[in-house]
Amino acid sequence: MIVQRAIEEAGIPTIIIAALPPVVRQNGSPRVSAPLVPMGANAGEPNNPEMQRLITKETLEALVSIETPGRIKNLPYEYIAEI
Amino acid sequence: MSLTVVKGLQSEIFVPNTPPVVWTPVTKPLNEMVVALVTAAGVHLKTDKRFNLAGDTSFRVIPGDTPSDQLMVSHGGYDNADVNKDINCMFPIDRMRELAEEGVIKGLAPVNFGFMGGGGDVKVFTEETGPQIAKQLKEEGVDAVLLTAG
Repeated sequence: MIVQRAIEEAGIPTIIIAALPPVVRQNGSPRVSAPLVPMGANAGEPNNPEMQRLITKETLEALVSIETPGRIKNLPYEYIAEI
Repeated sequence: MSLTVVKGLQSEIFVPNTPPVVWTPVTKPLNEMVVALVTAAGVHLKTDKRFNLAGDTSFRVIPGDTPSDQLMVSHGGYDNADVNKDINCMFPIDRMRELAEEGVIKGLAPVNFGFMGGGGDVKVFTEETGPQIAKQLKEEGVDAVLLTAG
């Protein structure tokens, strides 16, 4: 979030795919997307290109659609890691 | 009626403050944007120096044309099992290139960045690492940045 804020401050719009969205928002992230994923697979299940594609694409769309700083766009994709 | 009995008393419970808002408006449509990937997940080229797992404020540049099988992760702060199977689950570089081919975005940036987040020296990240990455992205004329972290 520190680096995201630095990039945003430099004049480049940013969005972060977060596994822990409340933490990210607390730290002042301007735009957040939040699929239902564990830390370490923020962009979706490994070797599941379709899920990764949808998370990546819809996050990019949220970059454009979010108009309020700190807003979280929840994404309906779920990956439960087998531990 | 004032309910304050003792002035200036503070909670014993640590209450984190959200930092001031930072915000750069989006000014162009997605299909005209060159987008960079930046990740705190410790992604770097296999030929690069690994991150120091005890704490590392340095960063690695990942060229936009890097094949995903030449990338790896060194990060001591999360379970690397998934990302070791498929780097795209933390650094969706193949997905970004596919979206560029489809015309959803204009392209993946020539420079992308990996660093080891989730701790380390916050002061250095704030004063050096963050601004250095931002400066390089700015110099490359990147239109937007997609991050993975947290």
